[in-house]
Amino acid sequence: MKSLLIIEAKNSPEFLERLLRVCRHRGFTTTNINAETGNSQQTLHITITVVSERNISLLTKQIEKIIGVKQVATLRQEKNIKATA
Amino acid sequence: MNGANFVVHALKEQNVTQVFGYPGGAIMPLYDALYDGGVEHLLCRHEQGAAMAAIGYARATGKVGVCIATSGPGATNLITGLADALLDSIPIIAITGQVPTNLIGTDAFQEIDVFGLSLACTKHSFMVQSADQLGPIIEQAFEIATTGRPGPVLIDLPKDIQIGPSVAHTLAKLVHSNNYLDNRLIAQAKLMIESSNKPLLYVGGGVGMANAVGELRDFIEQTRIPSVCTLKAIGCIPHHSPYFMGMVGMHGSKASNLAIQECDLLIAIGARFDDRVTGKLDEFAPNAKVIHLDVDAAEIDKLRQVTLSMTDDLKQVLPAITIKPNITPWKKHIATMKAKHVSRYDHPGEPIFAPALLRQLAQSIPGDTVICSDVGQHQMWVAQHMFVDRPENHITSSGLGTMGFGIPAAVGAQVARPNDMVIAISGDGSFMMNVQELGTIKRKKLPIKILLIDNQRLGMVRQWQELFFNGRYSETILTDNPDFVTLASAFDIPGETIETKSQISQALQRLLTSEGPYLLHVSISEAENVWPLVPPGAPNDKMMESIE
Repeated sequence: MKSLLIIEAKNSPEFLERLLRVCRHRGFTTTNINAETGNSQQTLHITITVVSERNISLLTKQIEKIIGVKQVATLRQEKNIKATA
Repeated sequence: MNGANFVVHALKEQNVTQVFGYPGGAIMPLYDALYDGGVEHLLCRHEQGAAMAAIGYARATGKVGVCIATSGPGATNLITGLADALLDSIPIIAITGQVPTNLIGTDAFQEIDVFGLSLACTKHSFMVQSADQLGPIIEQAFEIATTGRPGPVLIDLPKDIQIGPSVAHTLAKLVHSNNYLDNRLIAQAKLMIESSNKPLLYVGGGVGMANAVGELRDFIEQTRIPSVCTLKAIGCIPHHSPYFMGMVGMHGSKASNLAIQECDLLIAIGARFDDRVTGKLDEFAPNAKVIHLDVDAAEIDKLRQVTLSMTDDLKQVLPAITIKPNITPWKKHIATMKAKHVSRYDHPGEPIFAPALLRQLAQSIPGDTVICSDVGQHQMWVAQHMFVDRPENHITSSGLGTMGFGIPAAVGAQVARPNDMVIAISGDGSFMMNVQELGTIKRKKLPIKILLIDNQRLGMVRQWQELFFNGRYSETILTDNPDFVTLASAFDIPGETIETKSQISQALQRLLTSEGPYLLHVSISEAENVWPLVPPGAPNDKMMESIE
């Protein structure tokens, strides 16, 4: 199952490391990622596409635990996913 | 006040009175501040020992444990302790020195990216990049370590920030508001409990971490629902509780494992369906609906799909869902199973039978004794045969299974609770993994009692080699162990060796009445195995109980 996640987080130098590590460790392969800081540089907006046989909620719950994450939204259906970067 | 003095000041603001660590180049300013800063520092003899002492301190008290190390090897030596704390959800703060900020990334002497290393083994980590961050970071670190699901937090602190001027920071008064429970879920949970014929509580370490032992005991007292527990939850339920069947899982009691398989409602409380508990997951509690109560939402449906879940504070949830079901036949059945599958301590011959030794020890110690076990066969025997009535009195490495944990954890526990007896129970393999901490015991004159159960083997691995690897004992034979009593004497720790049943009573008396530390070295047969055993990949009702 391919899933697209939209994440909003407090901007920090290591946030992408934390995010990618969690994705890998929890059994999800990252196939696409785009990250941008907002105008204030305080917030990071990320879209990430991951692939796994595992239920996506197993990953989103772990991402929600990363300190600084403000919001995680999921689009599950493969047909709805468009290129984001 | 420089940055290092500020750190000590901030630790005191967080009510930290004792810390564990080991000095080195990049953390020297902090050690200078500790010299007369009003926080007691305990020098461990390896940074791993410092981390595990901090864990022992935290587990024995419920407070945050603090450990300190220098950059590079000092910091990397903390990693196993941090991982241990992560797996067992223990609130510790690790402060590591780092090379000055202008040298970070230059491969300077003793520079390693410990912040990067920490990402996989902490709940959170910080790199202090300027003096004004120091106060907020320390405050956040304690907040993160202790709230929600507790865990370890690392603060990497460059040397120039330790030396440079600090920036004043006023501690915020944190206000934790009570959550309002979802009445719909409460009603549904009560209905499930009331309509159940065979409910069972599966109690995990989260109960102790949530400081909800009292609420759990009240719940059990009022509902009379039978219960089992995990390794980390030992002590949450009084051992004499009539429908408590002990530990569940790979080396759990037979009654516990059978009850799990038979129940029609499993109420998991602060537990996470660990593979050592569930055995073959697909066949774990196959007839049960599941209510899962856990503060960590990521644990819900992670391994077992549940019928109902709540992530609220257990102190609020347990009283709210208290309802007494009519389950007399189930309770009778549980009582029968419990009586039928009691542990047996009759054992032929004179060689010492470790389960019987531990049972006798448990009957001989004061109620407030802290037991710190290491990892291996002896750890399971402690869990099976000693009775502990407070979770903070049973300290062991549950999730990570870290050999070498027992002695340094006992150091931390003894420092935290100087008026209580602390007994470290170790095996010959584990003992050698952090044997240097005997130096800490000597240095601080800690009256820790050490019970070393020696089968001259890496016993648990040997057991699996015997059962599942055709008796091919690859690197598990330790007949070249040192003379442990002589080794202890080098640290001014008196001791003795026993090897027959007739020696036990008097030796235990000498162990328990010694004023200072003492080593009781117990030789046992390498052939003794831990039973029952749920073989890998098997469901919990398929237990092996002997070699046959």
